Amino acid sequence: MLDRVRKRHRLAAGVFALMFAAGAGAQIQPATSVVKPHAYVSLEPVPRGKEFDAAVVIDIARGYHMNSHKPTDPYLIPTSITPELPKGFRLVDTSYPPGQLERFPFSPDKPLDVYTGSVTLRLKFAALEEAALGAASIPMTLRYQACNDSACLPPVRVPVVVDLRVAERNAKAHTVHPDIFGTGSPR
Amino acid sequence: MKRKCAAFGLLLALAAAGGVLASCRGGTSQASGRLASLKPEPSVTFKDLEGNSVSLASFKGKVVLVNFWATWCDACRAEMPELIDFQQKYAKKGFTVLGIATDDEGAKIVQPFVERTTFDVNGHPTLLNYPILIGNDEIADKFGGVIALPTSIVITRDGKIAKKFLGVVGPEDWTEIESLVGS
Repeated sequence: MLDRVRKRHRLAAGVFALMFAAGAGAQIQPATSVVKPHAYVSLEPVPRGKEFDAAVVIDIARGYHMNSHKPTDPYLIPTSITPELPKGFRLVDTSYPPGQLERFPFSPDKPLDVYTGSVTLRLKFAALEEAALGAASIPMTLRYQACNDSACLPPVRVPVVVDLRVAERNAKAHTVHPDIFGTGSPR
Repeated sequence: MKRKCAAFGLLLALAAAGGVLASCRGGTSQASGRLASLKPEPSVTFKDLEGNSVSLASFKGKVVLVNFWATWCDACRAEMPELIDFQQKYAKKGFTVLGIATDDEGAKIVQPFVERTTFDVNGHPTLLNYPILIGNDEIADKFGGVIALPTSIVITRDGKIAKKFLGVVGPEDWTEIESLVGS
């Protein structure tokens, strides 16, 4: 009796798996689904008067690519990150990783400068003396335009937020996320 | 044994149903998913690059390839040499491409692109040789939605939608369009 029940369950699971696979393989994902950004800050807390780093780690869905910050053609839309600075913060620098030159079926003769897989955009900020103490957020906008091997999704702007905690000037700060920022001492 | 065969047959049938269902999901299909429909073409009026109104109905009597594209779409630009070539070959037989530009900036960015950008067509640098019109979300919705580019819709001489495809127009698609033009 139990064997028969188990077999029926396995059969049902197989049916659903096949249906899902048949359906999923033919879908193109919406533009906001193919790129997942995650923001990190290098210091905890961030003392007033100190510079700190933020990183936006972008995971790009398999089978998709997005233009790098310096695409091969002026009409192509580059990847960019733009912060909206709250009072008390200054943007020191933004750096983008280099893209990879890749050929696609629709552009076999002309490689494109693109990001695939996972890429990290880096920003350096300074917390000024007037930055409010306590929890703070720096909202940013990530702009990108992604394609798969045969079609291109519209360019989108998605919000990304860096959350941090501001402390007094002489507060002791620890480097966090060493896998992203390394293990150097806070500046 | 009979039960196992029946179960296997059910599995195959349901998997096939899943595939058919996926391919019927209009604008969400990949280039290999096709919508075959004999629905009448939508009632649509576009603006050309000078701001003049152009109705889709004014092309009745021709086989029309409505091609949604944008200047930022590399895949779209990659297929333009073939679109130009097809226009050159078959315009006299009553065929036309309609390039529906979906750039947010509209004619401001599309017009200079059209005026200045050449494509290698059989070894010759060639400008776009088919009508370029301005599209928007409302127009895209009338064709069942456009979620990625390029998206093309083939319309028969009597104003019926024959096919809709997402992605670069492939060799088999061109063959089907040729047969419509020839008929």
